[in-house]
Amino acid sequence: MKRIIHIRVNEQEYELAVEPNLTLADLLRDELGLTGTKKGCEMGDCGSCTVILDGRNVNSCLILAIQANGSSVQTIEGLETEAGLHPLQQAFVEKGAIQCGFCSSGMILSGKTLLDSNPNPGEQEIREAISGNLCRCTGYQKIVEAVADAGSDYQKGQGGE
Amino acid sequence: MSEYDVINSRLSRLDTPDKATGRALFIDDISFSNMLYGAILQSPLPHAGIINIDTSAAEKLPGVKAVITAKDVGTVKYGVSPARYDETLFCQDKVRYVGDEIAAVAAVDQATAQEAVSLIKVDYEELPAVLSVEEALAEGAPQLHAEYPGNYTAQVHQEFGDVKAGFEICDLIKSSTFVNKRQDAAFIEPPGCVAVFDLHGALTLYSSTQVPHYVQRTVAMVTGLPVGKVRVLKPYVGGGFGIKASANANELAACFLSMKTGRPVKMNLSREQVFKLCRARHQFLHKMTTGVKKDGTLVSLEHECYLDGGAYSSFGIATVYYAGSLLGGPYKLQNMKYDGYRVYNNKPPCGAQRGHGGVAARAAWEQQLDMIAEELGMDPFDLRLKNMMQAGDVTCNDLNMSSLGMEECLQTVQDGSEWKKKKGRLPKGKGIGMACGFFVSGAGYPIYRSDTYHCTAIVKLAEDGGLAQVYTASAEIGQGSDTAFGMIAAEALGVPLSDVRVMSGDTDMGVDLGAYSSRQTLMTGHAVKEAAEDVKHQVLEVLSKELSVPVQDMSIKKGRVVFHRQEPDFSELRTRYIKEHRGWTDNPKDEPLTFREASRIAYLARGSIVGTGKYKPHELGGKYKGAAVGTSPAYGCSAQVVEVEVDLETGQIRIEKMTDAHDCGLAINKTSVEGQMEGSLSMGLGEAMFEEVKFDARGRVINADLAEYKIPTAVDMPPIETIVVESNEPNGPFGAKEVGEGAIMPTIPAILNAVYDAVGVRIFELPLTPERIYTAVQDYHERQKAS
Amino acid sequence: MLLPKFEYDEPRSIEEACETLRTFGETVKPLAGGTDLMVNMKKGVVRPSRVLSLKKLKTCNRIEKLDATIRIGACTLVAELIQNQVIADTLPALQAGAKALGSPLIRNLATIGGNICSARPAADLPPALLVYGARVVLHSQQGPRTVLLKDFFKGPGQTVLRGDELLTAIELDRPPANSGAGYLNLGIRKVQDIDIINGAAYLALNPRDGTIEKVRVALGAVAPTPIRASLAEQALQGQKPSQDLFVQAGQAAQQDCTPITDFRGGAAYRKAMTSVLVRRVLETALKQIEK
Ligand SMILES: Cc1cc2nc3c(=O)[nH]c(=O)nc-3n(C[C@H](O)[C@H](O)[C@H](O)COP(=O)(O)OP(=O)(O)OC[C@H]3O[C@@H](n4cnc5c(N)ncnc54)[C@H](O)[C@@H]3O)c2cc1C
Ligand code: FES
Ligand code: FES
Repeated sequence: MKRIIHIRVNEQEYELAVEPNLTLADLLRDELGLTGTKKGCEMGDCGSCTVILDGRNVNSCLILAIQANGSSVQTIEGLETEAGLHPLQQAFVEKGAIQCGFCSSGMILSGKTLLDSNPNPGEQEIREAISGNLCRCTGYQKIVEAVADAGSDYQKGQGGE
Repeated sequence: MSEYDVINSRLSRLDTPDKATGRALFIDDISFSNMLYGAILQSPLPHAGIINIDTSAAEKLPGVKAVITAKDVGTVKYGVSPARYDETLFCQDKVRYVGDEIAAVAAVDQATAQEAVSLIKVDYEELPAVLSVEEALAEGAPQLHAEYPGNYTAQVHQEFGDVKAGFEICDLIKSSTFVNKRQDAAFIEPPGCVAVFDLHGALTLYSSTQVPHYVQRTVAMVTGLPVGKVRVLKPYVGGGFGIKASANANELAACFLSMKTGRPVKMNLSREQVFKLCRARHQFLHKMTTGVKKDGTLVSLEHECYLDGGAYSSFGIATVYYAGSLLGGPYKLQNMKYDGYRVYNNKPPCGAQRGHGGVAARAAWEQQLDMIAEELGMDPFDLRLKNMMQAGDVTCNDLNMSSLGMEECLQTVQDGSEWKKKKGRLPKGKGIGMACGFFVSGAGYPIYRSDTYHCTAIVKLAEDGGLAQVYTASAEIGQGSDTAFGMIAAEALGVPLSDVRVMSGDTDMGVDLGAYSSRQTLMTGHAVKEAAEDVKHQVLEVLSKELSVPVQDMSIKKGRVVFHRQEPDFSELRTRYIKEHRGWTDNPKDEPLTFREASRIAYLARGSIVGTGKYKPHELGGKYKGAAVGTSPAYGCSAQVVEVEVDLETGQIRIEKMTDAHDCGLAINKTSVEGQMEGSLSMGLGEAMFEEVKFDARGRVINADLAEYKIPTAVDMPPIETIVVESNEPNGPFGAKEVGEGAIMPTIPAILNAVYDAVGVRIFELPLTPERIYTAVQDYHERQKAS
Repeated sequence: MLLPKFEYDEPRSIEEACETLRTFGETVKPLAGGTDLMVNMKKGVVRPSRVLSLKKLKTCNRIEKLDATIRIGACTLVAELIQNQVIADTLPALQAGAKALGSPLIRNLATIGGNICSARPAADLPPALLVYGARVVLHSQQGPRTVLLKDFFKGPGQTVLRGDELLTAIELDRPPANSGAGYLNLGIRKVQDIDIINGAAYLALNPRDGTIEKVRVALGAVAPTPIRASLAEQALQGQKPSQDLFVQAGQAAQQDCTPITDFRGGAAYRKAMTSVLVRRVLETALKQIEK
């Protein structure tokens, strides 16, 4: 039976009727049209479905939409501002950290949760922070560089929300 | 400073802003109104006869719109190579692996489609299954295909020079055996497609493919539709690595279901189904014997190889050829004998994966070369330098190294890794190793025998002037080809990249064999360059007439018309242009004549300005059987150094650093070249260290997910130093050649050689799990004690 | 990957939750972080007709420092075990176990209770919890009962938890000043791995003579459940810590375990690694005391 949930996605409030077995990933993609959230495995292994749920980056394929009732979700679509791309998005573009791009939404969101709490991470900290996000294309080298780069932008005060 | 305005730089890619913001559409992001969802019934048994298929319950399920089996779609055989079309969309009388397709369903939603599949009743008669090369080749073994007796997909027997005579003059002969494991490409995007059959009888297939062209042909052949009525489009694709380089059953089933229902049909593969589809790297068993002289001169290589192929051919014939032919270089070797066997068995079919056919062979041989160097008391670098080919050299199997920056690769990685300071001076448990490799820059021939162009390109100028639109049917699958072609077009035309728009991945745009065998930059690049030059010439012709300046006295550069001699008075042209753009705020004023004006004037004179380009390789060497596999217009090459630390008590390996140099000819986009190198290294590291698709005794994949099939995470990857070496490839556009696949070649052997340096024991089997290292070291000590 | 259909409940109190468990019995499954349950439901391994979310049980996601004990709510996130200062200061081996679990994404969903209740032989938290002598609080409509964690596991996926019970908290005695503990794991990849073997050790030294007054050693992935390595413990009890002693204890631990060969690793290797791991983790524990 469908239930009504209230959920805030990228600063917008929604009231939605959902089946209990609908995952948050499918809610975002199929009901809200936010297809920037990807599904690479649907088992929690790849991180391409990463979203930020109440400040924490999580696998949206393992969460029921109904569990997110009352929560606030940020997806890749919610990062741009009127000023343009988020510093992390900009750094990913400039550093060549994106190849096929299927992992990129998740990578950027995991990078963001890291930088939000620590704008000056070391290389190893960056690697650990994105270790739940698999990338088969880049060997992670340029992703790590891009996150570090965006971190310096954060420090210069251009980052954050 | 580069002599170029656009290429040979680090421009940001065209596609990445969309990918960084979630705008980029991948296959599963595409939907149509009234769309149905497809699901496929796959065999649960490795080998069985089909007695009966009962679809009645599935058909009765509310919401089900079509159920199809071999009875409905026929049994047209398809595959990769026409010489071995051994698959049918659905099995009719026999299944050959767990995952073999039997039926498909289209329904109003995914849940209904899946339920319907579970309602299809199949009566099987189980047959004995063979799950390994040994079992498949054993006497009296069950046969998979009556047409291919002995369970051989293909055998290759080649000899170049006289191997036996060569051995007779050798001072050292070394033999070893090596085995890798079956891989999965583990792209992060599982394949999917949407088929749309329209009211005009035309079929459009959106698919996450790397080869729209071959998919188009296969779909037409199997459905019986004319090729002209089949259009294949690829949206953004989340990696392919070879596995998406042929039509698959999902695509074909979606097409039939859409034709039957008249509605769009979406078919996605789950991650588990990706492992069943497989088509990834084979398991290769290599037996090699190399003979050298005291001074390190390589003389003879005798090589035997068995490929654990799976139930169908897929790319297997090419694979078994590549496994032999790609050892012809990059060393001077006069005598080479190769016996290769690609063997069927009741597992999912293997195919092509990055470094097609050559990766395990390279690993086996480069490790053996290190063993030889050690026995001769030579530094591994010196042994390779001693035998290094030079640009212009031709291998014994007739591969022409028209450019070869091998020596520079070796020098730069040696310096970059501080090899000389480290080799032989590291404490126990630490090690350093190196290896080389080379790879084709595009297969010399299409997969089907044909005189077709390998690619065509169209460059069209916007009628209003100023913007160039590039159309190719090539496949951007993440490697950055769209950007490369945009840059090539911009350079050839003389405009900035921002004035070029790139469209690709659509069979309506022409012919392009697609993204495989590291071919697009060289091949599609040629076609795009030619088309852009054509357009440029047409514009200059019109200008020539208007201004009475000979064409050869003008060119276009950075979006402006450049007059090599005196600048003519073009004010009349400008006035005309401005007149047509009254109200525009950006009309040219005091500047030199712009490309924007010139192209508008050209349009006014001639109508749409469209340039075309095409490419197929020139006559390539090799007249022997199988010469089509390995010959290429050019070869990329690379050298690599890897440093490791091994925990001697547990066998755990930590890769500390990788230094890689790759000769890609002229780098069109240096950042993209590095990206291909870094990606190759991580795929190689994964294969060396963790990756193995495992089966149970019933032929089922045990680890069909990304938890148990382990690809490297960010923490497993060390810092990578990439060195781009640029030779000038005479056969490449602007001197460019490949990097996408070749860069993986040295990774595994460099790791193997580094691990040996660290632990003093040679490992001849992948992956290098802690247990394997630990056991090998233990066994070695036992043997030492015993002797 | 679709989830099968099910009903969903989100009780606001432990009592309410227990009532639902009692009413619906075996057909209902508690849902904590879902990193185990959702995967198993997608694979079709478990098919509950009702899912009981523990999200609203506010009393279950607190970490409390009491006089002599530390009480960790069952729904505490694994990420929280890493970030929490009390855990970092007093239960470093548990923090190390938490750091080894899954990925940052998984740790932001997974709970300590889920890790215990899923009863995987290779789970990352039980070894540390075992060496700290943890007790688990199990709640049913009849009220709470407390069980030693070492008596909790019955086999892979099997525990003493009854169908009508909920795990609500984990209680641990605060380790004394002269004690230390460590956790180590060995896998194929560096992260996101199911361990081939893991283990923890706890040492408390007699302040007067420096002998080992209290010792606990626990191992994972070498038996159907996480186990205490009693032979290793015996070898250590009352002895003065030394390199040799730790080597001996490591060897003794081999007799404590009954590993199997599966596709992840061989029994012989697991056995051999037991010695290495036990020795190393004892060294970690000792170093902690010396700090
Ligand atoms: C990608 C991935 C990687 C992983 N890596 C690791 C790893 O490295 N190490 C490791 O140990 N585990 C790992 N896991 C397994 C899992 O994440 C952990 O075991 C986790 O701690 C489970 O907690 P949870 O809250 O998500 O449990 P859930 O999935 O919510 O529940 C697990 C089981 O316990 C029951 N349950 C949960 N809470 C209670 C309760 N309070 N009372 C009664 N029953 C309850 C549920 O009904 C269910 O049967 C991994 C999982 C994934 C998907
Ligand atoms: S799709 Fe969610 S982790 Fe892979
Ligand atoms: S860019 Fe392709 S998976 Fe990361």
